[in-house]
Amino acid sequence: MPLGTLDRTAPPLFNQGQSALSKLIFFGALSLFLMVADARFHLVQPIRAAVGAVLYPVQWLALKPVQFVVGGSRYFEDLQTAQRNEEEARKALMQQAERASQADTLAQDNARLRALLELRQTTQAPGRAAEVLYDAADPYTRKIVIDQGLTHGVAAGSPVIDADGVLGQVTQVLPFTSEVTLVIDRDLSIPVQNTRTGVRSVAFGDASAHGAGLELRFMAANADLQEGDLLSTSGVDGVYPPGLPVAKIERIERRADSAFARIYCVPLARVTAARYVLVLAPTGAPAAPPAPAAPARGKKPEPKPAAKADKADKKAAERAR
Amino acid sequence: MIKRPGQQQLLLPVSPLFMWSSLVVALLINMIPIGRAAWMPDLLALAIVFWGVHQPMRVGIGAAFVFGLCMDVHQASMLGQHALSYTTLGFFAITIHRRLLWYPVASQALQVLPLFALSQFIEVVTRMIGGGIFPGWWVLASPVVEAALWPLATALLLAPQRRTPEPDENRPL
Repeated sequence: MPLGTLDRTAPPLFNQGQSALSKLIFFGALSLFLMVADARFHLVQPIRAAVGAVLYPVQWLALKPVQFVVGGSRYFEDLQTAQRNEEEARKALMQQAERASQADTLAQDNARLRALLELRQTTQAPGRAAEVLYDAADPYTRKIVIDQGLTHGVAAGSPVIDADGVLGQVTQVLPFTSEVTLVIDRDLSIPVQNTRTGVRSVAFGDASAHGAGLELRFMAANADLQEGDLLSTSGVDGVYPPGLPVAKIERIERRADSAFARIYCVPLARVTAARYVLVLAPTGAPAAPPAPAAPARGKKPEPKPAAKADKADKKAAERAR
Repeated sequence: MIKRPGQQQLLLPVSPLFMWSSLVVALLINMIPIGRAAWMPDLLALAIVFWGVHQPMRVGIGAAFVFGLCMDVHQASMLGQHALSYTTLGFFAITIHRRLLWYPVASQALQVLPLFALSQFIEVVTRMIGGGIFPGWWVLASPVVEAALWPLATALLLAPQRRTPEPDENRPL
């Protein structure tokens, strides 16, 4: 019998290394430690970055077939679709043309008035375009991954917007990619202002599994809110520039047994279908919000700068009531 | 040589290159972004259990842990979640490897189902404690799909070791 057909080494009966149970205990404890370090103390960023860098070629390879299929289907898109898209784009352009022509004048007026009132000037945050690589497959959170990372100069905490509104916030920066937590994620809270009344509040992601919406919590049942109200960023957090559209109020449930109304909102950004997004630089210091038309009565809950600390927000909101 | 019941032929020794590349390919397939469906089978878990059962000396708990970390970073989930689940899978695969291969393949699939269910359970529990949303009852379908893929994995991954025997007088097998 030729030697090549069998394992030539003797069966290592006496040399099996550590027992399986001790390995299980060791690696189980290690993963528990990693989980606690990640969820509670945020210590594992270097490990994540290192593994992410090593994994990047494999991810790139895995993306190729999907990009090929998507690109191919777009290539064979029919003429009708293209014409319809063009028509829509023209309509949108017409609608914006009038406002655009006024925008320069308004901006100058605004700057002069702000100087007059000695308010802080609102700064234009520089943006950086990015492409959405994939929806994170983790079914427990709502995140997307974009193709700009540490090497491109993306900083953690940067707001991310698309053509229609705020998409989310960069929560994890890897060397070549970044993770963006969407506004509909349960852990993300975003300070908003009702554009109709000027009332400030905090919008939280919907906690249910398939909910693709936001929720305004701790709003009194008799608060002046209507279905269809537009919510934009208030800018008090120092992360999001003020005035970006976030969501629209879809449904208000006022219940007799609760002092608070349940307010459901739909995000304006195309959170699950965005292809190209803009990563803004975080504004840093809390910027002056645009002067509210009707000042809200009493003190409104002012969120903490870190948009993730929703527990602190909750407490602040309850104290303010 | 004792043949197991139902075993047609003796297998050739496994090629380590094929074994590791099959694990990497499973990782690659897991990474293809085809949406976020909770019932999607975790092919990497399947491959880890498969090689843990067939080659317990080569693919062990440490490898499972490292692959778990890769999945965690890719999925942007809590670091250590997949690592813990795959570590447990690796341990139980090694625990049952002596017994499992004496059964026909369909019965094997039934017996690995609790393993996949346990790993899914670990992931759900760690995420619920860690503050994730409940992904819906479709997560229960994922272990079933993985177990149903076991016969396919057996056919595919053992194929290189089942090369056509060429019996002659000197080599009757």
